[in-house]
Amino acid sequence: MKIIRFFLTKCSGDRYIAMSYFFQIVISGVVVGSIYALAALGLVLVYKSSRVANFAHGQIIAAGAFITYALTVWASIPVYISFVLSMLITFCLAWSVERIFLRRLIGEPIISVIMVTIGLASILDGLIYLTPFGTENFSFPSFFPQEPIMVGGVSISWTQLVGVIITFILIGGFSWFFKKSTVGISMRAVSDDQFASMSVGISVPGVFGLAWATAGLSAAAAGCIIGNITGLNFDTLHSFGIVVFPVVILGGLDSILGAVVAGIIMGLIQQFAGGYIDGNWGLNGTGEVLPYIILLIILLIKPHGLFGIHEIERV
Amino acid sequence: MGKTIRKNLFALNLFLAFAVVVCITPQAFAGGKVYKMGLSLAITGPTSDAGNPYSKGVEDYFNYVNDTKLLGDDKIECMIRDDQYQTAVTKRNFEDFLDQGIVFYLNYSTGSTLGLKRDFEEVQIPVLPASFHAGNVEDSHYIFLPIASYSEQVVSLSEYVVNNHKGDKPKVAMFIHPSAFGRGPVGDVEKSIAAGLNMEIVEVVEHGKDLDNTAMLQRLMSKNVQYVICQTIQSPVATMIKDAARLGISANAFGESGKITFLGAHYTGGNDLIDLAGDASENFFWITSYTITSEPGPGTDFQLSLAKKYGRDDKAANSHNYANGIMVAQVATEVVRRAKEKGLDISKKTLHDELNAMNGDNAYQPPTTVGPVTYSSTDRAGVDSLQIYAVKEGVFRKVGEPITSQYMKKIK
Repeated sequence: MKIIRFFLTKCSGDRYIAMSYFFQIVISGVVVGSIYALAALGLVLVYKSSRVANFAHGQIIAAGAFITYALTVWASIPVYISFVLSMLITFCLAWSVERIFLRRLIGEPIISVIMVTIGLASILDGLIYLTPFGTENFSFPSFFPQEPIMVGGVSISWTQLVGVIITFILIGGFSWFFKKSTVGISMRAVSDDQFASMSVGISVPGVFGLAWATAGLSAAAAGCIIGNITGLNFDTLHSFGIVVFPVVILGGLDSILGAVVAGIIMGLIQQFAGGYIDGNWGLNGTGEVLPYIILLIILLIKPHGLFGIHEIERV
Repeated sequence: MGKTIRKNLFALNLFLAFAVVVCITPQAFAGGKVYKMGLSLAITGPTSDAGNPYSKGVEDYFNYVNDTKLLGDDKIECMIRDDQYQTAVTKRNFEDFLDQGIVFYLNYSTGSTLGLKRDFEEVQIPVLPASFHAGNVEDSHYIFLPIASYSEQVVSLSEYVVNNHKGDKPKVAMFIHPSAFGRGPVGDVEKSIAAGLNMEIVEVVEHGKDLDNTAMLQRLMSKNVQYVICQTIQSPVATMIKDAARLGISANAFGESGKITFLGAHYTGGNDLIDLAGDASENFFWITSYTITSEPGPGTDFQLSLAKKYGRDDKAANSHNYANGIMVAQVATEVVRRAKEKGLDISKKTLHDELNAMNGDNAYQPPTTVGPVTYSSTDRAGVDSLQIYAVKEGVFRKVGEPITSQYMKKIK
């Protein structure tokens, strides 16, 4: 914000407007990108430990948002407590899902596990359609100030700001967890080689359960933030499980840092395309297409994504 | 002994024959007939926030018809099936309904209506979809739109903008769904402009799954856009108007200088928009042909009493999609009633003929719409009148009296 204020004070008139327009787009890009990164985090966590792409991630994102709403509005629990509780509930929910459906698939081909996650998405869809959340629209009660934070003509809402802060806290926490904690290192070891990990006493099933559970926790956080921005509509919320796939692929499927960088890149591309390209030269909707074009170009150069590990298998 | 056995067998056969007659044809004894209809729609899946209350409206009204004997001893049996917004499933449902002998079909989405258009022509069955896409009725003799098309809605909103804007030619952007449903009306607005409608379309924005519309809104502001007309569903509109409220660019009253006034067609508005956008929905202008419960009247009283009778919750009871479902069921019932009154057999053909004759003195006024339903062989949009509503203090309120588009007549 200080940087923005500094630049803007150096400008005047039209240049000021142009600069504030530019910085507004940068801020929006970073905000959107951070939320993408948070939504993508769960996918990365599951992939990092089990090499499985979880196609039910969007449903868990939606479930997290709905649980927070139900606790806040129907059970009258303060929203901050509801937010933490929903993360704990989705932590347990995702752990249970892994325990019931996926544990028995350890050692089976990855494609089988992926197919189970697709089936799981259908089951979760069905369960959510049994509740009012499946077919009705809701919005969180206002719990942040309605007035946005304004810095030199650049605005950011409290929801967006809190979303970015939560994203970076969670991502920082998970990065530390994987790098420094014994359990985190065990998870990385399982990801590298399940049999080698077992031979040194690591509980592979336990690691898988924990990976799913932490992914559930981060999905709930993402769901609450997205739900606060878009409103609580099941179709919209669960679609973010798929929307963020390009982010995960661009960042490298197993890299948390990659998810953050790729999320922000995607967010910035979308916003800059929307701000400077769309509506000019007969172009429209480039914000939707351009990230995929850039994704393809980057993957041509770096097939494992920006931060993905290039594995060499010796036989 | 042999005679006794023969007598017993005869008695048994007689009893069985009687039982079969009683079980299979209860209507023959009741003196009533059963007319079969079908509805395939998204009760779950994409757009089910609209489809779910819609199905409840249809179901409740047909139950009401049967329970209150609106058709005497005759009954309507409407089979309602979920297609999860998948055209392949809709087609399967429709074919199954045909096998069961339906005489009238209620469809749902734009995609499936366009996709099944040839099938409807082939089997010559009258169809009322929940989609108001003008393209549905092109090259078709059997599809009837319940109310004015999306094109007519959007052109009417454009006319409202032109008629109420103060200052130079109004600058308008269109915010549309990236599909035939969204794109359809754009061409008709452009034709209206070519025919003399005094406004400028600065930009047509096809939205995606946007988390932040700041860039787009600022771009529109930089091009001095004063009005955004939306033809999509509620969720992207909610995100956009929330962003506009945050940026402080939402007009507090229609046409407020230096700000943007947001307007939208049928599926952008209603209580769902208020539920999603909260306070940001204030001063959103919405057009539809339905009466809404925040503006009570005989139609909405009927709607609420029907919802109460069949145990619907407040959300369904107050939904304009519930009213929408009631209305199509009312039209279907009315054509059956008229055909019966004339002593005609109830068939696909007679019901189709009755729909085509629903005009002039034979126009039908359902309680849930702001104008009469009129159809003919050349006009297959039902209610031509449209009512503009705007959100005031958290509810939609009427803005003026019902209107009809002038330019749609010119460009047809």
